[in-house]
Amino acid sequence: MSAWETAFQSGVVVWDWIIAIYLFLAGMSAGAVMISIYLKRKVIEGDPSENGILRATAFLAPFGIIVGLTILIFHLTKPLAFWKIMIFVNPTSVMSMGVILFNVYMAVLFIWIGIIFRKQIVGFLKGKFEFVDGLLEKFEQFENALELFLAFLALILAAYTGFLLSALQTFPMLNNPVLPILFLFSSLSSGAAACLLFGVLVFKEDSHGPSVNWVHGFERPVVMFELFVLVTFFTGLIFAGGQSQLAAINAIGSGFWASWFWWGVIGAGMLLPLLLNAVAPKSVKHSGVFILVVTTLSLVGVLMLRTFVLYAGQMTVV
Amino acid sequence: MSCSRRNFLTGAGAVIFTTGVAGTAVISSKKTLASVQEDGDKRYGMIHDETACIGCTACTEACREVNNVPEGVSRLEIVRSEPQGEFPNVDYRFTRNSCQHCDNAPCVMVCPTGAAYKDEKTGIIDVHQDKCVGCGYCLLACPYQVRFFHPENKSADKCNFCRDTNLAQGKLPACVESCPTKALVFGDLNDPSSEINKVLNTQVVYRDKVHLGTSPKLYKVPHQKGEISS
Repeated sequence: MSAWETAFQSGVVVWDWIIAIYLFLAGMSAGAVMISIYLKRKVIEGDPSENGILRATAFLAPFGIIVGLTILIFHLTKPLAFWKIMIFVNPTSVMSMGVILFNVYMAVLFIWIGIIFRKQIVGFLKGKFEFVDGLLEKFEQFENALELFLAFLALILAAYTGFLLSALQTFPMLNNPVLPILFLFSSLSSGAAACLLFGVLVFKEDSHGPSVNWVHGFERPVVMFELFVLVTFFTGLIFAGGQSQLAAINAIGSGFWASWFWWGVIGAGMLLPLLLNAVAPKSVKHSGVFILVVTTLSLVGVLMLRTFVLYAGQMTVV
Repeated sequence: MSCSRRNFLTGAGAVIFTTGVAGTAVISSKKTLASVQEDGDKRYGMIHDETACIGCTACTEACREVNNVPEGVSRLEIVRSEPQGEFPNVDYRFTRNSCQHCDNAPCVMVCPTGAAYKDEKTGIIDVHQDKCVGCGYCLLACPYQVRFFHPENKSADKCNFCRDTNLAQGKLPACVESCPTKALVFGDLNDPSSEINKVLNTQVVYRDKVHLGTSPKLYKVPHQKGEISS
């Protein structure tokens, strides 16, 4: 069996790569929403519904959360009983609180998108469902409050993916207070990459415009801070000694997951995009191919980080 | 009305006796010690005596049969150590790995639906099969890693001290019943006169991973050779 087959064999971990994809999609959704809200409030001049990045988010954010939750349901051993997780509540369970958060987030997200794209939605409905227009108009009065609330929810959601795992006392690498911060920043970097990729290449946002420039400028500090958080993450484990130290050594010392981390997460996902952005001349930087390569690297890097944390995290028990 | 010193002292004594002592007695009766039981609730626990265990795994098989546990999974395991000591004085340490029925159970804390719960009447940690959706959060949260998905009903499953089988019929748990060397002691930790409390009061015991604050109720009498690793 190859190293890949051994590492991803079913039954090795309780939560496998499917959960990693879910964490990635939920994080990307939250990251894209946070960035788009900032763009809408501070950067975009004129109609936000004409902006390619906002259009990309209007598609990516619901897509991420809906697909993420759908694959999550099919990861349950009893997918048809998923509704029980919605009606039974346990206030001490991070997952139970997350379910409530997801529901509120999705509702507010749809309203927020509805307010921005009211004109387009009403045009698309062609006179049918006239109440939609009236409803969105009513919500528009609270646009500012809803928007700030959505930004707050997105922030919590990005961190939630970390809290979900940091609640697990069993695994010292996951039971780590830095994890929610790490996942918040990896959400922001995947959100920025997804916004650029889809905003520029699919929704044709001007790659020299202020929105794209802002996201470009935002990417670098986020990735650098993420690197610093990763350093604190592992030094914290090493300094803690005992099983925590062992967990860190098992994860990044040697073996399949260490190579995955150093070459994939750090090399291809973080340092290479930083390097490419630093050395590429201005003319190249705004080309479609360059954006495609750099954002794909970032997105793959974030997905690899989530996969790494899950698998390497479940290797060492307290 | 006259009040002699003698009368005053007896009166005052009577007041202190009726209010003071009775008052504190009422308060202290609300279980200040784990082993004092006033409210009728049980706190079931178990002791695995590693000095008596011979590793025959009769307990594992009895559990499988009584609780209908399918092949491939198990509610309890007897783990054999590396050989201990120098030839000819060599033996193994056998230790039990199963649900510890933590008073402060991580599985109960993380379960999103309340399917993992602690039965307050017995202190037993159990699973509501109809509430469990099979997310696996409890399997991960258990520091003792004793939970698994039941291959047939797809719910999270683990030892429940035979709560719905032997215990319900007034018998001891299957593992305790089947042990040929009486290495397992089961009983009510709230009852000061129970056999389990007698053993706890006379033997050196340890529990696994107590530093996590889970307050497990599976005690172990350590093997008398080598280091205790918990």
